[in-house]
Amino acid sequence: MRDQRLGRLADLIVDYSLGLEPGKVVRIDAPPVASPFAVELYRAALAADAHPYLHVEPERLPELLLAEGSDEQLDFVSPIAQAELEEVDAIVTVWCHSNTRALSRVDPERHQRLLASSQQLAKRRWERMSSGELGWCGTLFPTQAHAQDAEMSLTEYERFVFRACHVEEPGEPVAHWRSVREELSARAGSLSEARELRIVGPGTDLKVGVEGRSWKPADGRYNMPDGEVYTSPLETVTEGEITFAFPALFNGREVDGIRLRFQGGRVVAAEADRGGEYLDAMLSLDEGASRLGEVAFGLNYEIDRFTNNTLFDEKIGGTIHVALGSSFEDLGGQNRSGLHWDLVCDLRAEGEVYADGELVWRTGRFLEQPQPAVEHV
Amino acid sequence: MSDRLRRLADVLVGYSAGVEPGDLVVVQGPTNVEPLLEELYAAALRAGGMPSMRATLEVDDLLLSEGSDEQASWVSPADREDVEQADVWIVVEAPSNTKALTGISPEREALQQRARKELRERYLERALQGELRWVLTAYPTQAAAQDAEMSLAQYEEFLYAGALLDNGDPVARWRAFAEEMRRVAEFLNSKQELRIVAEDTDLTLAFGGRTWIPSEGRENFPDGEVFTAPLETGVDGEIRFTYPAVFRGRQVDDVRLRFEEGEVVEATAARGQEFLEEMIAVDEGAKRVGELAFGLNDAIQLFTRNILFDEKIGGTVHLALGSAYPECGGTNRSALHWDMICDLRSGSEVYADGELVYRDGRFLAV
Repeated sequence: MRDQRLGRLADLIVDYSLGLEPGKVVRIDAPPVASPFAVELYRAALAADAHPYLHVEPERLPELLLAEGSDEQLDFVSPIAQAELEEVDAIVTVWCHSNTRALSRVDPERHQRLLASSQQLAKRRWERMSSGELGWCGTLFPTQAHAQDAEMSLTEYERFVFRACHVEEPGEPVAHWRSVREELSARAGSLSEARELRIVGPGTDLKVGVEGRSWKPADGRYNMPDGEVYTSPLETVTEGEITFAFPALFNGREVDGIRLRFQGGRVVAAEADRGGEYLDAMLSLDEGASRLGEVAFGLNYEIDRFTNNTLFDEKIGGTIHVALGSSFEDLGGQNRSGLHWDLVCDLRAEGEVYADGELVWRTGRFLEQPQPAVEHV
Repeated sequence: MSDRLRRLADVLVGYSAGVEPGDLVVVQGPTNVEPLLEELYAAALRAGGMPSMRATLEVDDLLLSEGSDEQASWVSPADREDVEQADVWIVVEAPSNTKALTGISPEREALQQRARKELRERYLERALQGELRWVLTAYPTQAAAQDAEMSLAQYEEFLYAGALLDNGDPVARWRAFAEEMRRVAEFLNSKQELRIVAEDTDLTLAFGGRTWIPSEGRENFPDGEVFTAPLETGVDGEIRFTYPAVFRGRQVDDVRLRFEEGEVVEATAARGQEFLEEMIAVDEGAKRVGELAFGLNDAIQLFTRNILFDEKIGGTVHLALGSAYPECGGTNRSALHWDMICDLRSGSEVYADGELVYRDGRFLAV
């Protein structure tokens, strides 16, 4: 039986996120387990008079490639994939796993090598995206594996995902996301006037310089769900300490209870309750890995809990996240790194944020709504 | 189970497609048979190839029922690039419903077929120039088993036996079988004309100057036939096809054809007469025989409504109405190529240039 929510989500992505125009070529990337959703996206793109096609890849292929492939095969970038990337106008990436830890035990060096070779296509994709030639949206199809990571039943998790995207109930999700766009744009505008933020919470008192940097709304165009405003902070100004209540995930690994101390923008002390070695390894990856590339407010209040998935966790309404590593050039960021690791700090129960000395946020809410105000459900 | 799949994949990659190090290998098939697609991917890696996966979902019914004409006749960059860049193309057929397109109007289907004509011509051209090797196979699904009137497990057994994968070294068995087919082809290449005699059948086909080609498991898998293109005006007499003739999911029963100077002058069927007549009238070439072939695979004995298997049944002969293979020297052109199969396993005789050479499904002295 068709899940109406999937149909609504597909329409939302095609009509709102991508704003797909007639005649445009859209590729839908999804693993076989996400077939019901891939077909809905295909149907929605047909209805928009676009030219959709499906790129379905069995999930086991990377595992097989890592097990059987020579170095040459790991490094190979298919000319077919390269040519396709030049020809498509938009891509929908459906993130979806039947097992989120299937690659946990592969040889890390070979895995690194495979990730590096796949970066070539990813780089070209970002180039085409930032020049506006290519539309893109990343989203998720709920499976048992993701529900398990979130410690929920599949039914609960589906409800969680569809609520976060505002398609759980029939209604007008496009209108909802348009109003989110307005609200977040206004919020980004007012934050762009700030010179310095001070974040205070449990185990946290951190000053972040943002003068001259612009804030950007993440309003459902590149991710669905979405809901944050973000910028890249000044590289040499961050001072103080921050404690991350949520486990930090990276490439399928988990580090718990991270505490970082900054001086002059650099991490000078790092501790973790679990996975400290991996944290140290990541911090010393390169020069830029120990500086912040991003600071952001999570503003999607329909995401109300941690689910072990960055797509959702960084948008939890009432949280702040920072990323170690690479920053956003278009926002004025200058930090370069092979790392971009989002770490989420929960400020909902206890937490304050000051902008240039003035209290602007308490216990997970901005004190003043930017205009025009929008009510969250 | 997966051991069998792995052997099938190794034979397809190593023997049929002959993948060599560095070959760009496109593996195409529906996600119904994901385990086989994975095995083909792994086999291509082991052979040193660079596999490129084209797993598909069955959305043609959606496209043809909900899409505009423009959408239905659109060719994706993926399809174009696969055909243009692949060194090897392995295609697996495995439908989840063999009748999913039955409700689509023939005009809509024709629209899509026409749009894809350029692709078809391009891959045939690259194949002819030796730039592209392709192999077509079919893997059992519940839908295909249902058409074959078997359980899925029985149909799998049928496939593995027909593919010579049930025991021994499959590649050695295919090499030996290929040798046998080459001898049959060589024998027929020394003849000018065949006369096929069976119940309600007495048909003479002239093929002097044309080439018989053994089909050894390279482009079709499983395989097992020798085929040629008879002279366009050299077919006379009548034939009754014992098996239902199936074309794009539509079935015509008990087809009888009468030929004069190569042309069908009378066509009857117990069921599907109208469709038969429509197809014969598609174009000028649809009235003539484009292919004459002997099925030689004795490991395939049952009719399953899948032409890939049925035309190879050992002890059968088949004719195709419509387009001929240029590599045999055939010149008949048509949008149609409809294979129809006649069981010769009992009560039949075939004469070559007047001499009895085949009886009850067997060549007498090859």
